Amino acid sequence: MLYVLRRFAVLVTTLLVASFLVFLIPYVTSGDPAARILRARVGDLVQDPATLARLRLEYGLDRPLLQQYLSWLGSALQGDLGRSFTNGTEVLPQLMRALSVTASIAVLALLLALLVAVPLGALCAIRRGTTLDGAITGITQAFVAVPEYWLAPVLVLVFALQLGVLPSSGWQGPSSLVLPCLTLALRPMSYFTQVARSSMVEVLEAPYITAARGRGLSFAQTMLRHGLRNSVLPVLTLFAVWLAGLLGGSVVVEVIFAVPGVGRQMYDAVINNDVPLIQGGVVAVVGLAVIITTFTDVLYTVINPTARTSRVRA
Amino acid sequence: MSVLDVFGDNARRDNSGAEHPPSPAGTTTAPARRRRGSWPPSLLAGSILFGVIALLLLLAPWLSPYPPAQQNLAARLEGTSAAHLLGTDHLGRDVLSRLLDGGRFSLAVASVTLVICAVTGTLVGFLAARRGGLLDTLVMRVTDILLAFPEMVVALFLVAVLGTGDLTLLLALTIGGWTPFCRLARGVALELNGRDFIEAAQALGCSGWFIIRRHLLPNAMPPLLAHTALRFGHKLITVGALSFLGLGVQPPSSDWGSMLSEATPYLDRLPLLVLAPGAAIFLAALSVTLTGRGLEMRRARTGGSS
Repeated sequence: MLYVLRRFAVLVTTLLVASFLVFLIPYVTSGDPAARILRARVGDLVQDPATLARLRLEYGLDRPLLQQYLSWLGSALQGDLGRSFTNGTEVLPQLMRALSVTASIAVLALLLALLVAVPLGALCAIRRGTTLDGAITGITQAFVAVPEYWLAPVLVLVFALQLGVLPSSGWQGPSSLVLPCLTLALRPMSYFTQVARSSMVEVLEAPYITAARGRGLSFAQTMLRHGLRNSVLPVLTLFAVWLAGLLGGSVVVEVIFAVPGVGRQMYDAVINNDVPLIQGGVVAVVGLAVIITTFTDVLYTVINPTARTSRVRA
Repeated sequence: MSVLDVFGDNARRDNSGAEHPPSPAGTTTAPARRRRGSWPPSLLAGSILFGVIALLLLLAPWLSPYPPAQQNLAARLEGTSAAHLLGTDHLGRDVLSRLLDGGRFSLAVASVTLVICAVTGTLVGFLAARRGGLLDTLVMRVTDILLAFPEMVVALFLVAVLGTGDLTLLLALTIGGWTPFCRLARGVALELNGRDFIEAAQALGCSGWFIIRRHLLPNAMPPLLAHTALRFGHKLITVGALSFLGLGVQPPSSDWGSMLSEATPYLDRLPLLVLAPGAAIFLAALSVTLTGRGLEMRRARTGGSS
């Protein structure tokens, strides 16, 4: 229980820290802070000094910083994140659209990774110590070192330019999902395979497997009933960790393939100095990531009680 | 180690742990003595590859066939030839020379930030474990929070505030990067805290700094080294990603990541232009990853501490 409370305290603190940091962006960047902040709130650049002074008073920019932060946080919590500088529309709907795109490619990529990794890892574990095991382990270790911005052009070269079967970039139809997902899936696939392998190795040596075999279950039955279920849990934990990581970590892939996700949105916002979009993007990505990891951690302790005591100490 | 570890270090640890169960007792005295001559193949291959790459980059000024910035607009986008082993780019610059030159930047940034992260993280971790109490709690909560910020998002945020530049790059790669080292070092120190030789040192009146230097560091070194090597690969890829996005190295300097992004428009005309710098990053990252893996395996095999 203490552990759960602590995790939630960390969650709230993280969100407060993230929101305070992004709140400060217009205050610390160069230029007249008032003009920038007003631009973030009103949406347009105010040129007239008299209007600027009036708006400054109206928006309370003369108040202490903490007070301003609290009122900004208040409106942010009510879904008012201001208007984008570049297109003048509200930030929240844009953010939700982009987040759904990123989440869908991230989930698809990770499912793909899982689908390949679990059988592959199990195969390695069963054939432990053979050439096959060595080859798969070696290759997945090498895959970890493949940068996305190298894999992406290679895939484009093969599938879009040479074979012409898939679009090289853009966001139209399911075919445009394939290359970004493949690119994103490679690294998690390698890690998943390694974890699936090691947890399966552990499971295979467990007494309950011997017992099940002793009761006369065939190897396949034993695997299905006891092996897979117990070896998948660590992989699922890693799945959640990667999902949280990919929300903010797919910037490169989204930029390369022109995917309108939250990473690309944040990147464009930084290039265009679109402060409200940056603020919204950072808070949303960090917030979602910390929520996912918190729930995973808590769920993990519920499922696996042995993790509880060690985690309180850790 | 928290589940928050995004870059799969859990995976690495689980893997090595399951394959070679750690020795029950571990070493009892620092500095740990271990058998020589048992280099796993990945350690051998990784360190040789890294040595070759590092040597090539160190000798770059003498090895480069051309000055890396020398343009020759008459020979733009040429493929491999005897004059240009890896061809020329869109400004007629020799790709091989640029690779050798750009790699120095990539490797330098990655190693400098890595050293900062490793030293800071290890010291903070040791201190937190030795002092315990409020400091320990505080350090752990700070790492909890920092781990929630994806590296790319931190980098974008810093660019939004500070603009692009060396300081931004340095901060982006170090702000969160020390936390895994901190957790690792703290774990090792906590494990050793109640051991005889630590208590003996304390009873003899040794200072905390002496205990850290004489007992904690040698015992923590093998896992820390392996972790550092694995992180190196990750750092190299991140440095490349930032430069690829135009947030890292700024023109007129260039590194592998910026070369890759400059070459992207010519992917259909001259794939080599994109493939070469990417391969360079891959090989460099692979060499240190293999080294790290090998170090982990060797540690498990020889029954290292922690």
